[in-house]
Parts: sequence; structure tokens; C-alpha cells
Amino acid sequence: MIGLDLSKLKSVNDKYGMFHAMTEKESVEGSFHFSAKDNLTSKDMETCSGSRILEGYRPAFDATAIAKMRAAGGELVGKTNMDEFGFGTFSANSGFEVPRNPFDTERACGGSSGGSACAAAVFEDHVSLGVSTGGSICCPASFCGVYGIAPTYGRVSRYGLIDYGNSLDKIGILSSKATDLRKYLGIIAGKDEKDPTSCVQPDFNPGYRKLSSVAVPKEGMEGLSKDVESAFRKSLETLESMGTEIEFVEMPSLKYAMPAYYVLATSEASTNLARYVGMRYGQQEGDLSLKFDDYFTSFRSEYFGDEAKRRILLGTFTRMVGFRDRYYAKALQVRKVVIDDYKRILATHDAVLAPTMPFTAPRFDDIANMSALDAYKADYLTIPANIAGTPHMSVPCGYGSDGMPIGMQFVADHWDEEILLSVAEDWEKVFESKKPEVTI
Amino acid sequence: MKIGLEIHVQLPTKSKMFCSCPTTDAEAPNTHVCPTCLGMPGSRPVLNRKVMEYGIMLAKMLGCKVADTTWFSRKTYFYPDMTKSVQITQYDNPVGEGGIYYLGGKKPIRITRIHIEEDPGKTKRVGDQSSLVDYNRSGIPLAEIVTEPDLSTPAEAREFLGQLIQDIRHVIDLPGDGERSIRCDCNISVGKERCEVKNVTGLKNVERALTFEVIRQTKILKAGGKIERETRRFDEERGVTISVRKKEFEADYGYIDEPDLGVYHIKELAESIKIKESPLKMTLRLADQYGIDQKMAKQLVTTSVGLAELFETVANRTDVQNAVKWVVGPVSANWKSLGDKDLQPIVDTICRFSAGGITDTECGIEIKSYMTGEDASAVMGAAADLDALIVKFLDENPGLIDDYRKNDKAANKVIGFVMKNSGGQYSSSDVVDATKKLIESRL
Repeated sequence: MIGLDLSKLKSVNDKYGMFHAMTEKESVEGSFHFSAKDNLTSKDMETCSGSRILEGYRPAFDATAIAKMRAAGGELVGKTNMDEFGFGTFSANSGFEVPRNPFDTERACGGSSGGSACAAAVFEDHVSLGVSTGGSICCPASFCGVYGIAPTYGRVSRYGLIDYGNSLDKIGILSSKATDLRKYLGIIAGKDEKDPTSCVQPDFNPGYRKLSSVAVPKEGMEGLSKDVESAFRKSLETLESMGTEIEFVEMPSLKYAMPAYYVLATSEASTNLARYVGMRYGQQEGDLSLKFDDYFTSFRSEYFGDEAKRRILLGTFTRMVGFRDRYYAKALQVRKVVIDDYKRILATHDAVLAPTMPFTAPRFDDIANMSALDAYKADYLTIPANIAGTPHMSVPCGYGSDGMPIGMQFVADHWDEEILLSVAEDWEKVFESKKPEVTI
Repeated sequence: MKIGLEIHVQLPTKSKMFCSCPTTDAEAPNTHVCPTCLGMPGSRPVLNRKVMEYGIMLAKMLGCKVADTTWFSRKTYFYPDMTKSVQITQYDNPVGEGGIYYLGGKKPIRITRIHIEEDPGKTKRVGDQSSLVDYNRSGIPLAEIVTEPDLSTPAEAREFLGQLIQDIRHVIDLPGDGERSIRCDCNISVGKERCEVKNVTGLKNVERALTFEVIRQTKILKAGGKIERETRRFDEERGVTISVRKKEFEADYGYIDEPDLGVYHIKELAESIKIKESPLKMTLRLADQYGIDQKMAKQLVTTSVGLAELFETVANRTDVQNAVKWVVGPVSANWKSLGDKDLQPIVDTICRFSAGGITDTECGIEIKSYMTGEDASAVMGAAADLDALIVKFLDENPGLIDDYRKNDKAANKVIGFVMKNSGGQYSSSDVVDATKKLIESRL
């Protein structure tokens, strides 16, 4: 890792591609520096949510999370690259630059908060705001070997978050230091009258609790790469030695979470993306002689990426008359089942634990050969907690034979960020994480 | 023939439905806007509680069952005036369902549902090639009332709307131009298949559009043709409806729940809300309870609900006869000049008359003087002058009393004479009252 020298920001970014937009200041004036995923609106920096359709968009307001970080003395140094609107697992579906993994620049950072994980891994004393819809904080945290927490749905105001799936989106923290999670989540958490879904939360003042027991779903041990499985089993031993009881449990709802997630997320996404028609903000280069609906179509065809188009099609289909009950309404029911399953297990355990991703960060050439379905399946371990709205966190727990970081994910009950923050701090004392070699 | 209506009414909140922008008329286009009503990425809706309250009030007025829990949905369609290409409306569990509303107090019209939603902006064509969009209206709250196809004629549909608007105006203090701002989707079937005429503005146009459809559909059926299910629009200038799209091209709005707003538990709120009696109900009750003519009751209520309430007070304190004599008489005649003055002195005056403390003339003068703010002696002097003028005419035309016995329209001769010869200094109701009083004293 390297210290943050703003004069070198550009050359670091040339190597890793973590930022879509960067500060033009010469030095950090605030008491700390941070970056934010590019789907969080910022007054002074272009905000595109990874999409060419928003190119040139300068929001009139700061997202609440960014405003709170600034009010606490933070200086926003960059907006991080991401999959277009959060649609992806590797940040490779970006309308702009694809961030490169600090441990091997031939490999992906994970997604969709890939640029945030990259920045957290590369810069010392740096914290990055990420956003998770289906695993977009934990996945890149795992691939880049950093800590990442997505709090309970509704814990952090979504005002100023460019929506992917409003009932799923959560703003969280990525950092190489476990103690940062508590510190910065404390800053951005809390009720905000501009986001009614943030106003039902209990107070956020987490203390310390020792992790006494975790449940490991047997379903979560399927389909893992050898490296991931062995690193995870070794971590279980470490946890046991720390006095944590480990129990393998059945969690049958896990396999239904993924299809339900893609129905809900794309249904909501397809309505969220309907507003981008080239009329009011962002990119507006289109043929104005066309009739309005032809203009909208040509504009959206030109500026949305393939994955965005795929999800608009999927999400529009699942909410059509005749299919709505079969897909959208059913997915809402599945969400309840998943929540119930977590509640059942968390009634007798502090957390549910599984590896974060089934493999380590893949090479870009392998990603290019993956089908969309293969890529969707890679998220099967991070999706359940996201669809349930339960807080979850990835911590580094080992390194593969390829030298790439491996992470494991703890899931706690709604509003119980306390246990996650406590675990992270205890874990950091016993697990020595490697730092990427950064040279510019 | 079956007619069903979907009626959109603007709700009179001070700020918009999901942001704090004002709802008042703006001086320039696109000035009453903010990130939320412009649908800027990252903005979010926050419900104006007053909109939910109005929704509940109207649901109650329409005899609907108010939902215990209600929520919002997203209706997706693409149009330039729709900032998010998504309208926040209600689909499942609207605020009210299954009501009955009595037309003219008699004919039941079933109400399918009532829901609340946001209005889009306005598109204005400029020249042939382009349009301008004004988003000042974007996010103004609306109530949509959907009826079953229980209306039988275009005239009845108009009557229904007129009554509905009057009741709505009364229950939620809708401003006076509510009638013009009403927008309606009209469903009409003469045969089996129905057509929908979208977005017709105003009562008169609803009747015109429906009448045109009756004729059009009847002609097709008579010629042995088939009515196609379709959506049409009304051309106000030409008075015709025009096909917009056939059924198979009907938009699929792909409704999903609005995740940013959550679920509203409104049971307690609904129980705490009491609505005012509607003018129609009040009219029917007054006629029934006090044994007065329905026409008279309607006249009282349409002049002002306050006047009708005064009638009730007086009737209860004295008797119905006195209430009719004074409240329907001089109080009603001078109602406009009352302003916001207290009503109690009027009640007291009539009570004193009723108890025999003052004479008929004194009572009339006191009431008028109080209501208009004119000096009592001036009122009295004017009344005396008026009386003198009438007496003079009656003395000069003694046959008139006999004519009056046969037909009370004979009084019009006196009234016409006085109006013509007094230079318009007396109100017509004063002249009518004085004439009747003086004729009847000679019968």
C-alpha cells in the first residue's frame, strides 16, 4: 500500500483504474480521505454510476452518506469505477474503465464496488464507500483482500444513491483496517428524513460482543474451489481456537435466493432505468428530429451497455401482465422464506458463516469467456443475506495458490451490526493479511 | 348503455405529493421543481401525509372500505412529461375500495376504488416539429376515483360528476375551480364491447365526448358492424373522439411495489378522521328532518353550508316557520354581505322576535342592518321609502289584489314598477319581500 499523495493520484489510477473521477486538489485538506462508489451523487464530481448514459452528469446535491463523511472532516478524493448501475460481479461491465486487481492487474477486482475495494487495498488509511445490492461490497472486498461491511437494509440513508434495486440497495464501508468499519459506519448510519426507509432503524451505538457461535450452512460448502475450501476450513479452526462454537446446519432456502434475487433486482432496476431517456441530464447527444419514443429508443440503444439491456429485458418480462404473479409476486414470497430461515438459525447462533466467493479473483480473459448465467451464479453465497436485508461482512481469511486473496462472509440478524464489527476487530488480531505490492 | 368513469381530482395540498415544492401557480415554467419532482438520479420520494388524509376522507365520502394497510406502486410508461418514466400510484391495496355513492340521493353508483397518485408534468406543442415540457405540475397529488359502469346516459354522467365535485369540494375544501380542473377517462359501451375516451377535461366535455360515442357506436351497430375495444381521445374543438390505439396495443404498465415508500398502516388514522356531511346528504336530511321542500333545502345548502347550519340552529331555537321566514328570507338575501361576521346576533334577533320582544319590521331591519353593516335608521328609512312606493302603486291599482288572488304572479307587476322607479337602490329580494308583505296585508 502507499500513502495518498494527490500529485501521484493520476499515475496510480493509470495503473489500477479505480477512479472514474478524481479530485483536482493538490493535497488533502480534511482530517481523513475517502472515496465513494460512482453511484453516490457528489456535487463537485461527475457522477455516472458506471454508465455512458450519465456521462457529464453533475448532480445538484450530495448523497447523504457523502455529505456526512464530509461533515465529519472527510475529503472526497475520487469516485470509484463500477459495473454499469451495479450490474455485475467483476466491475467488467463498466461504461468506462475497468479497475484492476492490486494483487494481479490481469485479474478483476470483483464487483460491483470494484473500484472501491481496489482503492481500499491500494491506499493507506483510506476508506471507501461501497454499495451492495446482491453482494457488491463483499465480493470485491474478498477479491481484493480487504474488510467490507454492508449494514442492515435501511441503516444508511439511500438519499443520493443512484438506484439499482431500491428494496435491496445498501451503502457500506470498505477498508484494509477492521477498526475503520466501526468508525465510518458510525458516521454514515442514522435516520434521514429524505429516505423514509432509513427512519425505522433503532439507534446505532454498537458495543463489543464476543462471537460465541456460528452456523455454517452445508449448502454454502458446495461448488467451492479447492483453495477457497481449504482456506475456509482453516479459518474455522482458527475461530474454534478463539472459543467460537461452530455448527454445520441446513439452510434449504439458500438455493432459492438467487432466482428470487434476479427477479426482484431486475424488476426494480428496469423501472429505475426507465428515466434515462436523454432528456434531462447526463448524455444528451441524440437525433432530435425523431419522434419522442423513437428518440428514447435510439438513445437507450446507443448508451446502455449490454448487461444493462439484458437486465432491463429480464426485469420488464418478470413484471408483465401474465408473468407478474408467476415471477415478481413469487419472488417477494421467497424473500420472506429466506428471512425466516435466517431468523430461525440466528435465534441460536450469533452469525451465519460461509466463504464469500466460491473462487478467487478471475483473470479478465476467463471472464470474457463466461456466460451471463455463470457470472450470475458466482454470487450465490452473497445473495441470500442481501435479499434478506441482513447485515453482512467479508473479512480476508487466506490466499490461494495463485496468491489471490480469499474472504469469508459473516451474516448477522437485522440491526445487529455490533457482532460483525466485534468479529472483524478480533479477527484482525489473529489473521495477518497481506498487502499488495504497489509500485508506480 | 353502460358508462363508467375514472375521475382524476387534484388534491388541495400546499406542497407536492413527494417533495416540498409549492403547488400554487408558478409565474414561469419549470420553477416549482426540485430533484425529486424532476426525477433526478439519487432523489427519493417522501410522502406528504396530508395526501393520505385526503385520500381517506374521499374514500369515506364515497362509502368505500378504507384499507388497514396501503402502499404505492410504480406504473412504468415512457412519455416526455413523466420525469421518472414511472408514475407513483396505487395498484394493490389502494386507500379505498368497494363504495356506493347515491346519485341525486337515489340511484346507487358503485365505486370500484379510490387511490392516490402523482400528476405528471405538462407537454405543450410549439409549432409542428417540437414540444416544450413544463414540470411545475409534476408531483401534484391526485385522487383517482373509479366507478363501475352504472351510469346510463351521458347526461347522467355529467350530473354525477357535478354532484361528485360539489361533494368533494365540500369535504376537502377544494378551491372553486375544481370543476374545470377535473379530468376524466370515460368508458362507454352501447353494445358489448367498450371504448375508453381518455383524459377529457371538464363536465361539459365529458357529456359531449360520451354523446359523440353513443352516436358513433350506435351507427356502427345499426350498420351491422362490430365495436372494437380501443382507446380514444376527445378533440374539444371539433367535438369528436379519435382512435388512439387498439386493445392489442394497450400499454402493459408492469406494476411493481414502490420500494422507497414502504407500507402504511392507516387503520388508526382512518378511524380518527371524521368527514363533513356532504351537501347532498345535508339537503336530503334538512328536507326530511324539518319537513321543508327539497328545493328550499337545496337552495340553502348551495348558497352556503353555513347558511344551512344557521337554518338548523334557528329551527331548533325557535321553530321551522321562523327559520323559513327569516333564514330563507332576508338572511339568505343578504348572505354575501355578511362576510366573516359572527352569526350569533342574527339568531338572538330572531329569538327576540319569536318571543314577541320585537316586531316583524324591527326584526327585518335589525337583521339587514347587522348583515350589511348599514346604519339601522338608514335601513329603516330605505325600507319605509320602499314601502311607501309599493303602497302608492297598490293604491293606484286596486284591481291588482284580486289578480293576485287568482295568480300570485300578479306581484311581478308591482315588483317591476318598483325596480324601474327606484333607480336600483333596493335589492330584488328586498323588493320581493316587501311587495309580498304589503299585498298579503290587503288580502
